[in-house]
Amino acid sequence: MKIKIIEKFKQMDEREKKIYLRELLINNSLYIFLVAAIILIEIANPRFLSWPSIINIISLSAANLPIALGIAGAIILTGTDLSAGRIVGLVACVAAALLQSNDYLGKMFPSLSTMPIIVVLLIVLAIGALIGAINGFCTATFHLHPFIVTLSTQLIVYGGLLLFLMIGNNNGQSLSGLAPQYTNFIKGSFLSLGGTPIPNYVWYVLLITAVMWVVWNKTTFGKNMFAVGSNPDAANVSGVNVKRVIILVFMLAGILYAVTGFIEAARIGSNSANTGLNYELDAIAACVIGGVSFVGGTGRIGGVILGVVLLRLIFVGLTFLGIDANMQYIIKGLIILIACAIDMRKYLVRK
Amino acid sequence: MKLRILPLLLALLLVATSLTACGGGRDADVHVFYYTFSDTYVSSVRSTLGKQLSDADLSYHDYDANGNQTTQTEQIRTAITKGAKALLVNIVNTGSDDAAKEIVELAKNAGIPLIFFNREVSDSVISSYDACAFVGTRAEEAGKLQGEMIGEYLLQNYSKADLNGDGVISYILFKGEEGNNEAIYRTKYSVEKANELLMAAGKQPLRFYDASNQNGYHVDQNGQWSSAAANDYMTTALASHNAANGNMIELVICNNDSMAEGAISALNAAGYNKGGDSTAIPVFGVDATEAAKTLIKDGKMVGTVQQDAAGMAGALALLTSNALSDGKELMAGTESLPVDETVRKIRIPYAKYLG
Repeated sequence: MKIKIIEKFKQMDEREKKIYLRELLINNSLYIFLVAAIILIEIANPRFLSWPSIINIISLSAANLPIALGIAGAIILTGTDLSAGRIVGLVACVAAALLQSNDYLGKMFPSLSTMPIIVVLLIVLAIGALIGAINGFCTATFHLHPFIVTLSTQLIVYGGLLLFLMIGNNNGQSLSGLAPQYTNFIKGSFLSLGGTPIPNYVWYVLLITAVMWVVWNKTTFGKNMFAVGSNPDAANVSGVNVKRVIILVFMLAGILYAVTGFIEAARIGSNSANTGLNYELDAIAACVIGGVSFVGGTGRIGGVILGVVLLRLIFVGLTFLGIDANMQYIIKGLIILIACAIDMRKYLVRK
Repeated sequence: MKLRILPLLLALLLVATSLTACGGGRDADVHVFYYTFSDTYVSSVRSTLGKQLSDADLSYHDYDANGNQTTQTEQIRTAITKGAKALLVNIVNTGSDDAAKEIVELAKNAGIPLIFFNREVSDSVISSYDACAFVGTRAEEAGKLQGEMIGEYLLQNYSKADLNGDGVISYILFKGEEGNNEAIYRTKYSVEKANELLMAAGKQPLRFYDASNQNGYHVDQNGQWSSAAANDYMTTALASHNAANGNMIELVICNNDSMAEGAISALNAAGYNKGGDSTAIPVFGVDATEAAKTLIKDGKMVGTVQQDAAGMAGALALLTSNALSDGKELMAGTESLPVDETVRKIRIPYAKYLG
């Protein structure tokens, strides 16, 4: 394959060669930017590529990956999901409330003893799946754009979250004092690299990502998802149950948000109505940077990972360089814009 | 068929919620406007104030501006047209007087008493309307008390806190929000006051852990004073500043307790502040939330500054019932409270909390 490309390149004339190289540079500019940024930051602060720092970038990315994988499904269907962040927040607060340690003074439900982790995990996954299913049901049944549907559920979920925080003897306080078995399950570690422990949730996310790769690439459901995303009418004609696919994609997304919330609650240790705020925007940004196109029907798991890691690298890198936080907005905005422009360009060329 | 049932269900839901609407319902006299329901401290004021107003037989209604001044101003306009008899406003914009002036004009034209609380408005705005007052704190006091606690703690535990023994305490500071006076004062005075005490005792002033950071703080970019922001910054900082590199961060200063909790969670992951025998990096917050008090009790946090939510709600309820009873002075019965000399501003005092 590689040799073929080289031979083909040799056969081109000067002008073709120039164009080919230019295209290559433009299409891979994000990777080039990524490598250049890593080298520059490493020169400025040699601790950037030390084990603690690398593991920090991996863990921060891992915490943000499931929500992005969920939202990617919605984007592949030419939709989006604005309710993602609030679902993360609701799930984080529910998980925290049910897993507060028994001797914690400000316990939300003092008479309820700490539940087994697996039970709470199943409860929150069910909450995520339910809200996701509602998103999918309304989108598919009423032929509404997911933007509208999830804008509504975002508000409903936030209202529910605020109500939830006022019940028990909580009075809107943040939920903390989590049971040690829960925090250990998420933040504990059984493997260290270079003396830095790798938190357990990184492995869970790795597993989930592998499962998602299989779902996207090896299952009928995955193929149907891409088919509905590129052309729902064609998919319908060829016998795909479009409505079912849409509901399942949003349900799966809801489950992935629930995973994010379940991890987030223990990772941060303090959960309030602000938990999860704007997470969907970062997740959508990560997806489009990684080539999950709003045109629909295209996207790769690897691309989503690249997008998530790139956004975390910007955060960590600028913190390492001690650059003013305001610059982060500008840099993030420019990268999203450039990434989407490149993506659209590829699409137009193909057309 | 399904499609026909849905609107009916929605209509039923609307009727049901309007019947069970909490906080007094549609004929409420007192209308309370909160800058956001998601703020932990303001939520504790909200629940206490609700109780106190009910106890005083006053009907009330709560509004959530969700951090948006336009929303809040529109809510106030609507409440006035609905026949509100008193307005309690936790204003969103503290950066300039414009929003506060507009609200005062609205209340003045309608002849309704107006009490601002928690988030401060300037003296001239309060004085421009006879039936206007402010209940809050002295913004710079929290930072000063926090700085004092830090200075006093370090002077007693200097060699223990100075982990690498270089004679200087390196610190990290988390700011809740850009452009908010409370955040600005806390950020400024906590370090200034601590340095004052340290230098008076012949010690080196505090040093920000990262020399290349010109600001001397990390700010929550969403302006939410959130534990998640503090957690992300802290884990990132610990990646390059740790015991292995001999430059471990030796002090954590936070604008509020939520951020302190996030920072402590990050320290836990790195093996610090786990209680018992583990090394504890001193962490300081503001608010004295239940969570922070528990952390202090467990030895995972050193101190916080107590904001008296009950005291603030009590003063508010007092002013409200004054405003609603005929012939009573707005400020009657506030002699025992700290009131500014030249303006109707009640200052609920902060207190140090060390467990």
